[in-house]
Amino acid sequence: MENFASLLAGFQVALAPENIGVCLLGAILGLVVGAMPGIGSLAGCALLLPLTYKFNPTTAIIMLGALYYANMYGGSFSAILLNIPGDSPAITTALDGYPMARKGRPGQALMTANLSSFIGGTIGILILTVTASGLATIGLMFGYAEMTIILLIAMTSISWLIGENPIKGIVITMLGILVASIGMDTLSGAPRYEFGSMYLLGGIPFTPFIIGCVGFAQVIKLINEREADEKKRSSDDSRQKLSIKKSMPTGHDLRRMLPPTLRSGVMGTFVGVLPGSGATTGSMVGYAIQKKFKSEEPMGSGAIEGIAASEAANNAAAAGAFAPLLALGIPGSGTGAVLLGGLMMWGLNPGPLLFDTNPDFCWGLISSMYVANVFTLLVAILVIPFLIKILSVPVKYMIPIITCVCIVGAYSTSNSMYGVIVMFVSGIVGYLLDKNGFPTAPMLLAFVLAPMLEQNIRKAFIASQGGLGIFVDSPLKLVLLAVFLVLVLTPTVKAVRRKMGAGKKTPA
Amino acid sequence: MKKLMALTLAALMLLALTACGGNSGNSGTSGGGSDTFTPSKTVTWTCTSSAGGGSDIFSRKISEIMTNEGLVNGQTIVVSNETDGAGEVGRNKIATMKAGDADYNLLTFNSGDLMPMVQNTKNRAANFRILAIMAVDKQLLFSCPGSDSKTDYAKAGGSQTDFAAAIEAAKNGTFVVIGGSKGDDITTYNKLLAEVGLTDAQMSYITYDSTSDAITAALGGNVDFVISKPAAASQYVESGDLTPVLALSTERYSGNLAGAPTLSEIGDYENVEVPVWRGVAAPASMSDAAAAFWSDALGKVAATDAWHKEYLETNQLLDQYMDTTAATTYVTDYEADYMAENGIS
Repeated sequence: MENFASLLAGFQVALAPENIGVCLLGAILGLVVGAMPGIGSLAGCALLLPLTYKFNPTTAIIMLGALYYANMYGGSFSAILLNIPGDSPAITTALDGYPMARKGRPGQALMTANLSSFIGGTIGILILTVTASGLATIGLMFGYAEMTIILLIAMTSISWLIGENPIKGIVITMLGILVASIGMDTLSGAPRYEFGSMYLLGGIPFTPFIIGCVGFAQVIKLINEREADEKKRSSDDSRQKLSIKKSMPTGHDLRRMLPPTLRSGVMGTFVGVLPGSGATTGSMVGYAIQKKFKSEEPMGSGAIEGIAASEAANNAAAAGAFAPLLALGIPGSGTGAVLLGGLMMWGLNPGPLLFDTNPDFCWGLISSMYVANVFTLLVAILVIPFLIKILSVPVKYMIPIITCVCIVGAYSTSNSMYGVIVMFVSGIVGYLLDKNGFPTAPMLLAFVLAPMLEQNIRKAFIASQGGLGIFVDSPLKLVLLAVFLVLVLTPTVKAVRRKMGAGKKTPA
Repeated sequence: MKKLMALTLAALMLLALTACGGNSGNSGTSGGGSDTFTPSKTVTWTCTSSAGGGSDIFSRKISEIMTNEGLVNGQTIVVSNETDGAGEVGRNKIATMKAGDADYNLLTFNSGDLMPMVQNTKNRAANFRILAIMAVDKQLLFSCPGSDSKTDYAKAGGSQTDFAAAIEAAKNGTFVVIGGSKGDDITTYNKLLAEVGLTDAQMSYITYDSTSDAITAALGGNVDFVISKPAAASQYVESGDLTPVLALSTERYSGNLAGAPTLSEIGDYENVEVPVWRGVAAPASMSDAAAAFWSDALGKVAATDAWHKEYLETNQLLDQYMDTTAATTYVTDYEADYMAENGIS
């Protein structure tokens, strides 16, 4: 109850006119920044940070918090409409969102993303409010062995993205791992596959790589479809006009959306709390778990459940990531690290005493997340009709527009042409792979998860001196391991049972 | 048609503007050729770490003080974060910059930048002009006695507040794990290990991306000890989560870190101290006049109240300003030591 009293005091801070103002500004900026591929929350916060130095710290973090938060909404827009994830947590949103938009239900897809983001985010903030600093201690229970198993669970999501040809799927996953291992080894500092190039020493930057593989590859594909599109347009006069009303999901859609949203919301919060995981792992675990539950359409073909699971999880994780940041001064993600730098610049000492020394700041931030969540939902719903218009833009105009967006996004990650070159090269490679039946999604997931898995597994082995016992020596690890084994073994067990069933039938 | 006209006009105006900008820039560079140098155009400050980090805060604080104190002739200093190739690309750009532009380019250059550069590229400190050392930091070893026992040493009931006991245990076959960040911390760990006569199979090191990640691991009981600078650990010491165990310095610290003995106090060892320095460098081709100007300006920054209160005290750093001559000798010696220790030729 004490937490809620503090929360109410926090609302007094958050609802001050200037704080509402910056919160709204942060929400709008976050949506814009999130929708632009490449300029993720990390770059958005880093760009805004110097502007906030003159602000009072509470106002400043409210603005950045709202921006970070709204970013998770915005990332899904370009993922659904253009198949270009605005930010890494939106990769899994694109898997179902884009097919759903192609099926002629872009409005419902966006609405599902918005609503599940809102519900997932609210669950995350509620959990954060109730447990406050307690949540962060749960994060501390997770050492490298536990993180290794969680990342393995997230990696199982690759298995059903590989499509009809398992060999091609495995090849592409391996390619993702290979590309991820370029650069400096994070544990020993030894350079890997850098071929004497100073640029490769820093590895392949994630954002340009993903923009290229997905976004620019899409442009090349569109070039091929251009003529077909023009013919279709000239013959097809009945232009679709979509209003907010028409993009409203039906009651049936809502019923499909709710269970995965609630599940992912709770789980995403906990994943967000874990050290070094953040929203990306959150959405991937959410999507992986959803696969084990029923969905009306198969996942990956435009299922509402898929969008809901992924979006709810990433917004909840974004909220959860604030727990270790506020309670222990530990950044849960790259964006968290920037916010931490901000706290220090504003003269606050992030760490275990922050809740005691600056309660108005901490609770002001938490309550502003409620406000930001509502603002972002409203803004996001209002822009849907405008966003959908993007789909009616003729392909011949879309090609240069998306290309520009890709270039700007790739450039802005490190303010250099290197990102743009990586984007073009991976775009061409991505297109060729796609053309030859290699799905690119497994490569992206492997690219994100493999380095984290490698780090954790190697740290675990250093700590255990190479022993495997470290993965089974506590109840928590056993539970996680059981979840992993269930996920991996169910298809096999099912197949064996089917065979045995068939075997029993034949003699009879 | 009207629109087109407006657009053309706007484009022309933009062209004229950029042309003017270019001219004034040129005159500025030629002005720098004389005996004294006064900046007459925008200065670019390259920081090879991302925005919000320690190096970034260092760069922005100095440029803020320089601007506020009117040390740069009213010119703007733009901090540019160049993180390609783990910072090597940005450093190489400065190292190979041609004269002229060189007078308007500064680089944040720390011990943590020098080590990977020497390790992985052909660039050396001699390829830069070292303008100043602004601050020096040292490290301590901390532990978290209240954490879950997850490591071999903790499970064996080893004392987490007595490092001498940990050395003994490691010698007798109990595995001890130390955590820390990259760069400086690894160097310190290696020196510590060599001094106490252990191998990395007895007392191992786990590298984290940042000190805060390493502290998280210590709080969660995943490592026995963690190497950190005072500032990063200060809050945790105050809240009682971390205990300072060993001062990696030639003398004890003061304040809430005073409880940690130096290595020579806990056994028959020499003290281990690896200074972590923060400095400013420039292209080797920077003119002498410009180098003298910047070294002097940095000296003035180091003498301000703002620098002491808002930077050194906030980050608990030692005030150790060195001008360009002293800093060059210091960095060259540091590099030679590091290369000798790591067998780099």
